[in-house]
Amino acid sequence: MQLTHLNTRGEANMVDVGDKRETRREAVASGRIIMQPETLKLLSDGELPKGDVIATARIAGIQAAKRTHELIPLCHSLALSKVSIEFEIDQEGSCVNVTALCRLNGRTGVEMEALTAVSVACLTLYDMCKAVDKDMRIDAVQLESKHGGVRGDYQRDARPAMPIVTGEGATGEVTLGERCASPCVRVKFLAELRERVGVSDIVLDLEQVPSCDIAGLKAALSQRDPRFSVLADQRTLCAINQVMANDSARITNEDEVAFFPPVTGG
Amino acid sequence: MNIRVYVQATPFALADGYEQVLAQRTDIGAVVSFTGLVRDFNETPDVTGLTLEHYPGMTERTLESIGEQAWQRWSLQAVYIVHRVGYLTPGDPIVRVLVASAHRREAFEACDFIMDFLKTQAPFWKKEHSGQGEYWVKERTTDTQDAARWT
Repeated sequence: MQLTHLNTRGEANMVDVGDKRETRREAVASGRIIMQPETLKLLSDGELPKGDVIATARIAGIQAAKRTHELIPLCHSLALSKVSIEFEIDQEGSCVNVTALCRLNGRTGVEMEALTAVSVACLTLYDMCKAVDKDMRIDAVQLESKHGGVRGDYQRDARPAMPIVTGEGATGEVTLGERCASPCVRVKFLAELRERVGVSDIVLDLEQVPSCDIAGLKAALSQRDPRFSVLADQRTLCAINQVMANDSARITNEDEVAFFPPVTGG
Repeated sequence: MNIRVYVQATPFALADGYEQVLAQRTDIGAVVSFTGLVRDFNETPDVTGLTLEHYPGMTERTLESIGEQAWQRWSLQAVYIVHRVGYLTPGDPIVRVLVASAHRREAFEACDFIMDFLKTQAPFWKKEHSGQGEYWVKERTTDTQDAARWT
């Protein structure tokens, strides 16, 4: 394996990507900033002195992605077609999880842009909150996945904090979530599938579903995010209210729908 | 129906199930039990442990339903199923299926049947940890073929 940013004399070298074919590239990076529970509460209640922390951090992350080539010496400047940054407030871990997605049609990968976006979004969160908390720590900035390009796709599958069971229920118990205001379905992704789509639970408004069956639910999810296209895989199994179901099975208000890979117990 | 199902993170003893099934009974003529253990080689030759995930609620119902199907099919006196979840290391018991009946054939067959369906229907997933990293265990076509023997 050779480092492409070094030439044969070991000198730094910007790779000529002119001969590479343009393909659709996408990268997802994540990171988190750990803070005191009181700081997290101020942040989620919007009571920090510097105002809307999340909105500011989102803009900062998007701007940073666009300017990655100015920061990282051998990065090309790229015309990104999409940058999106998501923040998830994790009360249990007392942290904000940051995820950045960058996309373009081009000749070079966008993982540096996604990583830069996450880093700068985290730094902005630090800046916005530092008046009340100086112990904050930025942690686990990492590439989650990368698609497109000659070196093939990458998917991080080793997650350090793997939940032992899915959902909040203790063994043998099924917890009921809070009731939705409008008709909805609760969707769960289990095991390997959860890691591939990067989310364990989603509540979906039934009005967003083109037809009230599993096929319609899959269509609505794929529309929402291309990562959910994996649900079309024939190996993906499905249960409605914990009973196995197929594509034509009906779904109704408050149903719990779980998608999961073939089972491997015993 | 005397069917007991346990899904638990705590280890179970090698003799688990016998006492529970045999206590105060003299009508049982045969007990067959199967125990599945964590091997230190599977998809890689150096498995250091595995994490078992499951779908709480559906797991128990599926195991009960498999026990009930066995109960309908053979003349049984007790079915006892324990399956562990969470982090396990090589040598740890993962699963115990214990079946009691008046005569051995029923117990042998029902135990075999329950394991085949547990492997292919109960919502458990194994993630193996090895020197080369972590990965989800792939399903095996032989397990599906084994379960198809009963239909």
